[in-house]
Amino acid sequence: MAVAKLERLTYWYPGAPEPALRDACLQVEEGLTVVAGPSGGGKSTLLRVFNGLVPHFHGGRIAGSARVFDSDITSTPTRELARSVGFVFQDPELQTVYDVVDREVAFGPENMGLPRREISDRVEEALNAAGIALLAARTVRTLSGGERQRVALASALAMRPRLVVLDEPTSQLDPRGAEIMLAAATSLVARGRSVVIAEHRLERLMPSARAMVVVDGGRVEGVDPGSWRRPPASGRVPRNAPPGGEVWSLAAATAAFGDRVVLAGVDLSGRSGEVVALCGPNGGGKTTLLRLIAGALAPLAGRVERRPVRIAYLPQNPTAMLHRPTVRAEVAMTLDRSREHDRPEAILEELGLTAVAGRYPRDLSSGERQRAALAAVLPGRPGLVLLDEPTRGMDAAARNALVGLVARLRDQGAAVVLATHDAELRAALADRVIEVADGSVSETVPEAASR
Amino acid sequence: MNARAVAAWVAACILIVLFTTNPIYKTLVLAAAFTALAAGVGLRRMRGVLIGVALIALFATLLNFVSAHLGSTVLFSLPAQVPAVGGPYTLEALVFGATGGITIAAAILSAAPFSMLLASHEVIDALPAGLSRTGTAIAASLNLVPAVATSFAEVNEAQRLRGWRPRGPRSWAEIVVPVVLTSVEGSIQLAESMEARGFGSGPRTTFTRARIRWRDWILIAAASTSVALFLVSHAAGWASDWYPYPTLSIPALDARPLAACLLLFAPALLWRSRS
Repeated sequence: MAVAKLERLTYWYPGAPEPALRDACLQVEEGLTVVAGPSGGGKSTLLRVFNGLVPHFHGGRIAGSARVFDSDITSTPTRELARSVGFVFQDPELQTVYDVVDREVAFGPENMGLPRREISDRVEEALNAAGIALLAARTVRTLSGGERQRVALASALAMRPRLVVLDEPTSQLDPRGAEIMLAAATSLVARGRSVVIAEHRLERLMPSARAMVVVDGGRVEGVDPGSWRRPPASGRVPRNAPPGGEVWSLAAATAAFGDRVVLAGVDLSGRSGEVVALCGPNGGGKTTLLRLIAGALAPLAGRVERRPVRIAYLPQNPTAMLHRPTVRAEVAMTLDRSREHDRPEAILEELGLTAVAGRYPRDLSSGERQRAALAAVLPGRPGLVLLDEPTRGMDAAARNALVGLVARLRDQGAAVVLATHDAELRAALADRVIEVADGSVSETVPEAASR
Repeated sequence: MNARAVAAWVAACILIVLFTTNPIYKTLVLAAAFTALAAGVGLRRMRGVLIGVALIALFATLLNFVSAHLGSTVLFSLPAQVPAVGGPYTLEALVFGATGGITIAAAILSAAPFSMLLASHEVIDALPAGLSRTGTAIAASLNLVPAVATSFAEVNEAQRLRGWRPRGPRSWAEIVVPVVLTSVEGSIQLAESMEARGFGSGPRTTFTRARIRWRDWILIAAASTSVALFLVSHAAGWASDWYPYPTLSIPALDARPLAACLLLFAPALLWRSRS
C-alpha cells in the first residue's frame, strides 16, 4: 500500500531562482525507506513535503501533486497532517517546548485536544517505544544528546502517526547515542509503522531498508537497496615528513565547565605536522580540552603553553559564527585578518564549495554550512588547527575532501587536534588517538594502525 | 506547589509593596519574599539573584541620593557649579532612595518564585483554557533565552579566535549579528517542531491537572487576608503614608497592617526546597 505519492513535484523556496525539488516522482511504500544523497541535494526539503512543512511553513511555490495517505499535501495544513505523519528533526536541542520529559512527549496529544486519560496512555506507550520510559520525570536539559533525540522521537510517536519521518536524527550524536537512536527508529517498522529516514551513514540502516531514494540536485530517484555498497573509506593519507617540534602542551591542567570539573591534571602535548585525535563520549571533556589548547578557556590549575602561531578553531556549533554575505567573503575575512594573500577560491575548491561561493552561508544545507565554516577558519597557513566534530552532517565525498585538506595543512607543518566521533576520520589522519572521559585522558592505538 | 497559589501570594506582595509608602512595611514584604525564596529554592541558588537585586537596589538608592537635593539634614555638599551632581546631599534623599531600592528589590524577589520555583508547564497548567495556547508559545520562547546566552559566548569565542577584537561599537556587529541570526533560526526550528506536532490545530487539553492541595489553600487564604487587611488598614488610616521630606521622621507603625505583612511569611512555613 502506498504511504505517500509524489507526482512531478517541483518546489521553489521563496525567492529562490532554482527549484529545491525538480519533477519528483516517488511512491513510498510501507516499511523502512532510506533517503540518501549529498549535502544540499534536497533531502530535508523532500522530507518536509511529507508533513506539509513544505510548502505550508516555508512558503514558496509548488507544482505537481503530493499525497500522504488520503491527504492532499498542498491543501492540508501541517497541523492536521501531524496526526498521521510524525517528524523528528536534526538538532534535539531546538525542538523542545517543555522542560520535563513526559510533558514534552504529551505536547502533541495536548494539541490534539485529547482527554487526559488518553494522553497519559499515549505518553506511556511512546516512551516505551522510544526506550526511555525511565526518563519520564527527568528534566530535558539534564539529558544527553542521544536521550534528547529519543525524547523527540517519543514526542512524534505520541501522536500515533502512521508514518514517521526522521531528518538525519543522528548527526548531533555520539556513536552510542546514534546506535540506540537508529535501533529505536528501525524497531518502529516491526510495530507496524512506516519510517522514512535521511542519513549519511547508511550501514546500520540498509539491512532493514525496504526502499531507498537518492536525492541529488533536487532530482529524486528510487534505487534498489540491494545495490547499495558501503563507500570506500578514504584510507590512510601518507605524510611528507615526520612531525617536528612541540607546538602546544598541557602540564597538570585542570579545567571546569561551570561548577563541574571536566578535566583534572591533564598532561598532553602536540607537535607540528602531527594529527592528534580526541575521542570519547559526549560530555567527556573533548571540547573543553580543545578550548584549553586554543586559549579560549583558562585552566583552573596547571599550565597551558603554545607557540605564537595562528590558530584555526572550528567550534562545536560552527555555523553560528557565519554572518558575511557570501561564503567567499567569510574566507576572505579570515585571510584578511591573518594578513595572508591566498586566493579564497583555493580552499573553496578544495572543499567542493565553488558552486555555492557566492551564496549566503545561512541559506545552505547543514552539511554545506559545516564545510563553509571549515573554509572560513582554515584558509592560509594556520600553525595550530583545532577542529571540533568537523565531519558532523557530512557525506562521504565531503569527508574525503576534508581529509585531503587536513593532510595538506599537516604536511605544511600545522599541529592538528581533532575532536571527533568519526572512526574513519581518525583512521585516515590520526597519528595519536587520545580518549577523553571522566576528567582524564588516555592514549589508545589509532584505528588504522590496529587494522 | 500550585502556580495559582504562588500567583496569589506574588500578587499580594507586589500590591502591598507598591501601595504603601511606609519603609517598615516595605521591608517586611522584602523579608517575606527573601524567606519564601530561601525556603523554596535554597540560599545557594539564590546567590545570583540576590547579587543582581542588591545592585539594582543600590543603584536606585544612589540615584536618588545624587539627584534629589531636598531635605533639611545635609550630610555634605558639592559646589552647585558642578553639573548634574552639585548641591547638598541629604539624609532624607538617601533614606527615600533606599525606600525605592527596597520597593524594587521586594517586587523582584516576590516575582522570582515564578521562574525559580515553578516549571514552565506548571505555569501553563494554571492558566485559563483560553490562554493555554498563548502561554505555551510564551513558555516555548522562554526556553530559547538560555540558548541566546550560550550562542553569544560561542560566537564571541569563535570570532576572537578568528582574529576579531572589539574596536568601537560598530565592531560588535560581528558578534551581535551572528547571535541574532542564530536565535532567529532557533526560533524558526522550534516553530517548525511545534507545527509538526499539531500546535494551533484546535482547542488544547493538558496532560496534568494543576492540583490545589491544602498547603496551597492556606497560602491563598493568607495572601487574600493580607491584601484585604492591608487595604482596610489603609482606608481606615491605620497604615498611614510616610514621606521623608522636608525633615526625616520615624514611620508610624500599627499592629493591623503589620499583621497583614506578617501573613506574607506563610511560604516560609509551607514551602520545601525544590533544589
